[in-house]
Amino acid sequence: MNKAPRTRGQVLVALGLVMLALLIAIVLFGPVIAPYSPSKTSPGSLAGPTAAHWLGTDSIGRDVLSRLIIGGRTTLVITSAAVAIALTVGLILGLICGYVGGWVDLAVMRVLDIIFAFPVFLLAIAVVAALGPTLRNLIITIAIVYTPTLARVVRAPVLSVKRWDHVEAARSIGVGEVAIALRHVLPLVISPVLVQTSLTLANTIFTVTALSFLGLGPPPPDPNWGSMLAEARQFMELAPLTVIGPATAIVFASLTFIVLANGLREVLDVTASR
Amino acid sequence: MIRLVALRLALMLPILFGVSIVAFTLMRALPGDFAQASAGTTAISAEALETIRRNLGLDRPVWQQYLGWLAHALTGDLGTSFVTRRPVAGELLPRLAVTGELTLIAGLMAMIMGTATGLASARLRGATDWMVRGLNSLLLAVPNFVIATLIVLLAGLYFPQLAIFNYVAFVADPAGNITGLLLPALSLALTVSVTISENTRAAVLEVASQDYVMVARAKGLRRRTILVHYLVRNALTPVVTVTGLQLAALLGGSILIETIFTVPGMGQYLFDSVANRDYPAIQAIVLLSATIVLLVNVLVDITYARIDARVSYE
Repeated sequence: MNKAPRTRGQVLVALGLVMLALLIAIVLFGPVIAPYSPSKTSPGSLAGPTAAHWLGTDSIGRDVLSRLIIGGRTTLVITSAAVAIALTVGLILGLICGYVGGWVDLAVMRVLDIIFAFPVFLLAIAVVAALGPTLRNLIITIAIVYTPTLARVVRAPVLSVKRWDHVEAARSIGVGEVAIALRHVLPLVISPVLVQTSLTLANTIFTVTALSFLGLGPPPPDPNWGSMLAEARQFMELAPLTVIGPATAIVFASLTFIVLANGLREVLDVTASR
Repeated sequence: MIRLVALRLALMLPILFGVSIVAFTLMRALPGDFAQASAGTTAISAEALETIRRNLGLDRPVWQQYLGWLAHALTGDLGTSFVTRRPVAGELLPRLAVTGELTLIAGLMAMIMGTATGLASARLRGATDWMVRGLNSLLLAVPNFVIATLIVLLAGLYFPQLAIFNYVAFVADPAGNITGLLLPALSLALTVSVTISENTRAAVLEVASQDYVMVARAKGLRRRTILVHYLVRNALTPVVTVTGLQLAALLGGSILIETIFTVPGMGQYLFDSVANRDYPAIQAIVLLSATIVLLVNVLVDITYARIDARVSYE
């Protein structure tokens, strides 16, 4: 009876992984694939697609395709670094809160509630504005903003898993508490965490590009998808491709992680909330 | 009911307290000297800097500064703008009204689009369901500022006669004001409508499988009656909740959308304040929007309990 959704989930996961492979290739081999240097200008500005410039050139004659590839690298590196930090901190906090419980749980969760009270994007703007828009601060800010979500997703299932018989059994034969938490609880809560991580990656792409769009992204001259979209707006009626390029790239990247999350949810049978 | 309201508000207070601490520290954490920052870009002598420091109370211990700031904030004094030298509260309120209107229109749009597509998806099944869900997944991947940019691009290419950047005040021209906000609201509403649509679909499907709906069908009630009185009514509960909880997303999104469509709301004010390093303004916006989100969450909880008698927060 579960046959149908499970195969659909597998198709989605496979599709997501193929899309992800493409993104990873851009990060790893970007400078090799890009036909030009992202800052190299050529005579024709705002030109349409030609054999030399597949996606045309921008307002000062830089190759749009090359900038998309190199800009994607910047965007994706910030995204993955921020989510990696948020995931690590979220896992630790969620595991401690759920497993230890008591006042530790209460204290940490209330602090996370405070972060939750702010609209994500608004908090990100304020923190970046206060710290200054550098690559490092951007990563820290986004990690702070998304840690509470991941911590909650880890904590909830830990609360019930820690009462299961196998945990009690492990304890009765003298396994240490830390070992129980890591080896007998953590593996059982990993499914919802995977789904949420994938969704968080999609959200982070949104936040990173949006911050860059507002001029709070990584400093120029490094291109990134958000700043490219912002720069292109001025001349977009003359050269629609300069807008459509980064817009498509942003949508493709977030779609990758949404597809992956939806697939994982069905394959792992997670009834996760957002 | 009164107990519930009191309880929810009481639970909100410690979080609000934490929010105020975050807003306060955020401003003190900025690199460089706060007094120097408040002086703006103009060169300034050491004595003048000392005077500013004393006037702002920066010579006192941090906890005293915080309490002083909090006391002022509670009485509605949110500080003085570094740029205009006028009270931030006075500058913020009219912009909050604009953002409120934009959010309201966007919320209504999202609710109509979301419930309509969700209902169609759940009732018609088959191709409609497939199409709606596919479109929803795709829409979820398009950030609102990309939607807004594409709307502006399409309008510029195909409807050049359409004036999309002329915001007019409501008092000057009510109709023009609302039509001017339609496109910005649409860019905000599309993403939010996806969440509402998915939730409506799930809720309708769940309600449809309940025994009382089967009984209603068995005793021969018309399909229409069942749809309106049984399905929609019960399915609306989660929809109300989701719409309320999406407010944070709408508020956050309006920052971008207002900048793109040059709507003079809170989002644009935040953007300008960030560009001008007007820290008291940033702080006020952060504090205010978190408070609004918290209040709406409480309101949603209460509405939820009011609609559905099965819900209790005891």
